[in-house]
Amino acid sequence: MREFKPQDALPAPIESAGLVGWVRQNLFPNVGSSIATIVIFAFLAAVVPDMVSWLFIEANWTGTTQEDCTNDEGACWVFVSAWMQQLMYGSYPVDEVWRVHLGLISLAAVIAAPYALPKALRNKVGVPLFLLYPFICAALLDGRTFGLEFVSTDYWGGFSLNIFLAAASIIIAFPLSFLWALGRRSDMPFIRSVCVILIEFFRGVPVLALFFMGSVMLPLFFPEGTNVDKLLRVWIVLILFMSGYMAEVFRGGFQAIPSGQYEAADSLGLSYWQKTLLVIFPQVIKVSMPNILATFVMLFKNTTFLLIIGIFEILSTTQTALSNSNWLGGHAPEGYLFVAFVFWVCCFGMSMISTNIERKLDTSHRN
Amino acid sequence: MTTENLATSSSADGDVIEIKDLNKWYGNFHVLKNINLTVKKGERIVVCGPSGSGKSTMIRCINRLEQFQRGSLVVNGVEMIEDVKNIETIRREVGMVFQHFNLFPHLTILENLTLGPIWVQKKPKEEAEEIAMKYLSRVKIPDQANKFPGQLSGGQQQRVAIARSLCMNPQIMLFDEPTSALDPEMIKEVLDVMVELAEEGMTMICVTHEMGFAKKVADRVIFMDGGEIVEQNTPDVFFDHPETDRLQLFLSQILDH
Repeated sequence: MREFKPQDALPAPIESAGLVGWVRQNLFPNVGSSIATIVIFAFLAAVVPDMVSWLFIEANWTGTTQEDCTNDEGACWVFVSAWMQQLMYGSYPVDEVWRVHLGLISLAAVIAAPYALPKALRNKVGVPLFLLYPFICAALLDGRTFGLEFVSTDYWGGFSLNIFLAAASIIIAFPLSFLWALGRRSDMPFIRSVCVILIEFFRGVPVLALFFMGSVMLPLFFPEGTNVDKLLRVWIVLILFMSGYMAEVFRGGFQAIPSGQYEAADSLGLSYWQKTLLVIFPQVIKVSMPNILATFVMLFKNTTFLLIIGIFEILSTTQTALSNSNWLGGHAPEGYLFVAFVFWVCCFGMSMISTNIERKLDTSHRN
Repeated sequence: MTTENLATSSSADGDVIEIKDLNKWYGNFHVLKNINLTVKKGERIVVCGPSGSGKSTMIRCINRLEQFQRGSLVVNGVEMIEDVKNIETIRREVGMVFQHFNLFPHLTILENLTLGPIWVQKKPKEEAEEIAMKYLSRVKIPDQANKFPGQLSGGQQQRVAIARSLCMNPQIMLFDEPTSALDPEMIKEVLDVMVELAEEGMTMICVTHEMGFAKKVADRVIFMDGGEIVEQNTPDVFFDHPETDRLQLFLSQILDH
């Protein structure tokens, strides 16, 4: 009998493995790509060193006033650090800033609750806490309910306000938009028309116009003498605007659910709401998750538009700082870069969380 | 017949389903024409016919997945009328198994089975799980209880779907082409479960083209075409001495290959 001897494994040819292979395959596979690689590298070589030098190496990091920024070749990060308190918390009293921190921490807690809580508690404790969060947090920042020092909404501001507004809006918009989306699919003509009108109105009008309506027009409809807080009006506008978009996201999700799911739920004798909440909703959330996040990121960034109606969120605080007579040195690049940076960090973080949730929800191929 | 089945009420003469002059239209299309059908308790009925003949539509009318415009339908003594409570009462009595299983993909097998008992019958979770495990054992897959539907084969999924219906302790089971979406080698495991169920005296209406199954368990075989019941008879007569040329043609086409 012939004995089978496996051949010895030979090392891969130089052009297909190792660093050289990788470079050749990915950077210089043909003439066109090679030219593109060279052009891009040349561009990066021209820009990156100067950028790094301005951003980090030559930058002024320490000090408290404009005079500490002695090196004109680098960024003046002193500007950002000197205004940090304002950029983050607006005019919120320094001694009370712990309340803002507590609010942010509890926001993280209600978001993490679905992961941390055991399944049995998730719906009974996690969901109510989530839905009540905006009100509890507002009461905490306001202070009167808990017997703390009263801080008027005029003093709320900075990046924390962007976060609070966005979070408080989406939390309320979430169930509201789901109801709108359900209404839009309803068999009842009246409910359907009302929902279609609401959704199309808040989706079709630019958010800036909505903000102006909220701050200028809405008070005209309130009874004489009532004074509804400006921030509250803005919050309502954000909720409605967000709901219009989210309702359409949910509608797309509904359409992805096969009719067999409804039929199976019906044939078990589940009621309309049992069917909707136990069978359809979890599946809609799963398919809609990427779009829900995209919509939320959009809303979050849109909170910077509030500067035009005089809410002191991070962007308007930056502008105030830039026009301060002690800092008239042209620090706009540092200021706006910082704003861009904090938004990017938050949005990227949410992106990671959403990917994680998607994976968690994906039961179709789990082994 | 099991004691569970005997314990429940039905109309005096033992008819659990009474369909009289049922007519249904999709827009202008007349899908069901003057359907008359009476099913006795414990009777096993197989419905066959070419696609588009209205057989699925007919059994879907029985638990109101489809509405009809004319005629009357009485299930277990309850008349089907335009009323949510009424429809829910009937749906509790009628289990249904679908061609594409329609398990809930976001729930485990056990959760799929306990959903109805917990939320519709308001049973405590422990009791519901006990019932679920009992029926999972009956369809021979108790070891899959904590998996998700996506991890099971088609045949296993369909057996879970049957168990899910049984957990609601239905008086009548409807099967809408339960084996049509399965690979050939999985058809048998599903049919075995259905045969077992039939032998225990469950009232069943099956839309299927599994003629072997029809011969083995059916008390009556119904042939539908063009939205009407063309012929109905015991399996012996149905297969060996079809009365109409339409059924002869149909049988020659499905039995010859």
